[in-house]
Amino acid sequence: MKKSNFDVVVIGAGPAGYVCAIRCAQLGLTVACVDAWSDKNNKPSPGGTCLNVGCIPSKALLDSSHHYSFLTNYAAVHGITTKECDIDIAKMLQRKNKIVKTLTTGVKGLLKKNKVTFVHGIASIKSAKEVHITKSDGDQVLVAESIVIATGSKPLELGFLSVDQKQIIDSSAALELGKVPGHLGVIGAGVIGLEMASVWSRLGAKVTIWEAEDQFLPMVDKDVAKQASKIILSQGFDVQLNSKVQAVIKNKKSVTVTVLGAEGESQTEVDCLLVAIGRVANTENLGLSDLGLAQDSRGFVEVDAQWKTNIEGIYAIGDVIGGAMLAHKGSEEGVAVAEQLTNQHGHVNYAAIPWIIYTWPEIAWVGDTEQQLQIDNVDYKTGSFPFTALGRARAMGDTEGMIKFIADANTDRLLSVHIIGPSASELIAEAVVAIESELTAADLARTIHGHPTLAEGMHEAALDLDGRAIHY
Amino acid sequence: MNIDIKIPEFSESISEGTVSTWIRKVGDHVDEGETLVEIETDKVVLEIPSPATGVIEKIIKDENEIVNSHEVIGQLSESSQNIAQNNQLDSDDKGVVSENNANNKSDNYKKTGPSVRKLIEEKNVDIASISATGKNNRITKQDVLVAYSKDQQSNLSQSSIDVANRNNEIERVPMSGLRKKISDRLVAAQQEYAMLTTFNEVNMSQILSIRSKNKDKFLEQHGVKLGFMSFFVLAAIEALKEYPVYNASVEGSDIVYHRYINVGIAVSAERGLVVPVVRNADAKSLSSIELEINKLAAKARENKLSIDELTGGTFTITNGGVFGSMLSTPIINPPQSAILGMHAIEKRPIVEGDEIKIAPMMYMALSYDHRIIDGREAVLFLSHVKRIIEDPIQLLLHL
Repeated sequence: MKKSNFDVVVIGAGPAGYVCAIRCAQLGLTVACVDAWSDKNNKPSPGGTCLNVGCIPSKALLDSSHHYSFLTNYAAVHGITTKECDIDIAKMLQRKNKIVKTLTTGVKGLLKKNKVTFVHGIASIKSAKEVHITKSDGDQVLVAESIVIATGSKPLELGFLSVDQKQIIDSSAALELGKVPGHLGVIGAGVIGLEMASVWSRLGAKVTIWEAEDQFLPMVDKDVAKQASKIILSQGFDVQLNSKVQAVIKNKKSVTVTVLGAEGESQTEVDCLLVAIGRVANTENLGLSDLGLAQDSRGFVEVDAQWKTNIEGIYAIGDVIGGAMLAHKGSEEGVAVAEQLTNQHGHVNYAAIPWIIYTWPEIAWVGDTEQQLQIDNVDYKTGSFPFTALGRARAMGDTEGMIKFIADANTDRLLSVHIIGPSASELIAEAVVAIESELTAADLARTIHGHPTLAEGMHEAALDLDGRAIHY
Repeated sequence: MNIDIKIPEFSESISEGTVSTWIRKVGDHVDEGETLVEIETDKVVLEIPSPATGVIEKIIKDENEIVNSHEVIGQLSESSQNIAQNNQLDSDDKGVVSENNANNKSDNYKKTGPSVRKLIEEKNVDIASISATGKNNRITKQDVLVAYSKDQQSNLSQSSIDVANRNNEIERVPMSGLRKKISDRLVAAQQEYAMLTTFNEVNMSQILSIRSKNKDKFLEQHGVKLGFMSFFVLAAIEALKEYPVYNASVEGSDIVYHRYINVGIAVSAERGLVVPVVRNADAKSLSSIELEINKLAAKARENKLSIDELTGGTFTITNGGVFGSMLSTPIINPPQSAILGMHAIEKRPIVEGDEIKIAPMMYMALSYDHRIIDGREAVLFLSHVKRIIEDPIQLLLHL
């Protein structure tokens, strides 16, 4: 069998793995990056869940459906009337697939440019120094000084329910529906459930979401969650909290869902049922148990603060170690491990990771929620600003939502920022820089923001912390 | 207004201290409670906090000077910034006041950014030693590099202290308070005591097998690794009960027998050897002894041991084995009368019956004060310890 030697073998070419591989290469290490993902033609498709069936394709459909929703619901107030407005789902999916193709090809190009050896195949770790690759054109052994596991995560399935990807689907198939379902049922009102519900409800589906928790968006700041339930829940999809799916029966053309809610058991018939209840570590085929690599009860690989597993020389990063399942968190861990391997200090500030939910308006935040700060007994102060008071938001016609700042009451240091509103995903970047740089609210209040922009809302919320917002 | 920076009351057993390091310098802005200066005594390093927020006006006692309880070693003046802020509070313009408050407050901590924090970690610079030159008390990359090069220089200059008395071959460094105390004590022990050492060897295979069989469970149950030391502590306690004179000390012409057993454990810390004490060890279980030794050793390494934790020992165990020592003669820690030395475990051929076998062996050394302990008892004490370590079940049976 062919044997090759590398300084580092990275398993997985998602946003954690390929970024780690490139950073290692930049630092002068010899790197192989192994990935098993194939496209419909069995060609390699690096980029992991994010590029293939996650962040990118979902955003493509969110944007397409947003345009449709604008034309049918909001264009009229701008003085734009449309005679006919049709949806060509096939074309919409084609556009999405083309974007995925462009970007995965781009990752291949980036790896090549950085002289990372890309290996398309299934990896299993034989020892702390050896990775065995099963692939179509002959198996191969990679020998490495260090191994980085970055194999990501996959959708969690409900025990009693098997996903057939036609009537009962997971998030990947929800990006591939050939026609708009009449009634889409969704189990789980988390980020993925809400985003897919947004896409298909905008395109005309009736959407019902069942959520077992009794709170809407419990991980979000309470003021933002309150606004979100008001705004988002008025957009044509029905979120039923405190509702546990008890049974699912597949009929010929529909699915009957039995739900135990606050008012007892009820049955709903849907055309298609999306299971979006969370994600678990993807460690199949890696041979971790034979290796004795420590995993927690949910299968996530256990690592210490330096992303070291219990086996010397093997590291793990990204979704496979659990925590925040975010592409940008994984990428940053990839960079940190690479730098650590070359004797630098690996830097990931888990307190300054932006979180984004791509509903419309978008929800984005960084830092602790107000309810968490109360639990932690932090002495804080808050400031906020509504988008209704912003000229730019008025001009856009997107006036729903607000920005909330929380700062330390004693030092004025910015602790967290919570946004629900247009382009919250972009606005949050300023807050992340501020928190990472340990700025105070007064620092942002003293920083000039362009006019008219949505970012002025950030300025005003910072001013409001000091009781001196100008425009509200 | 000037505020004195004072040495607190030393405990009875400490007569004086030495100014070890001034962490902040004249002209530095300091916050109340922030550590200004470290004072080294023969037992512990004391961190002296700032009595108030302000600027250091004067340093009266420089580094390496001797200081006593309550002595004033420097002066602090309330910062002009605070005074300015107070004046502004009287102003009518509320908006300005609150903004200024925010700005002043924001000056209270040194701000860094991600790349600066990375550099601080990599250069291993103490953030307190960096003076921030950026806007609003921000530490810049340059500030880190300046502090780092100062660190490097001070390391260099420390090793070149007293240039005048130095020729090319020697280097003269004043002993630290702790080192001096260690030196005085050891010399005193050698001079006053009739010190003698007896040796024995012990087969460690029983303890090793107990340890490997139970180490995971022990860790899970007690949250601490199962080591050898606690077995030796228990074995020594049994022997001390059998031969109480080992737990006694000489005072003038009296022999003072202690009814309690406080076992000192010698720990090598960065500043020198310290001997924290496991109190009433005879009333403790193996796991709690192991836990306590661990805690004390961690504190010793961080120079955080309190005086209480360092005094009152009646018997000492020292383990030169951690550094690989095969055999040594430990020196008694006055006013105690004996010290047990453990050493490295090594596989050696031994004769069992008429066969040669390989066994994990350790040499033990017992230094004792011959004035009150006879040679016979010394040999018996050590063989008692040996018997228990080789057959630990005796601990249960108190044989």
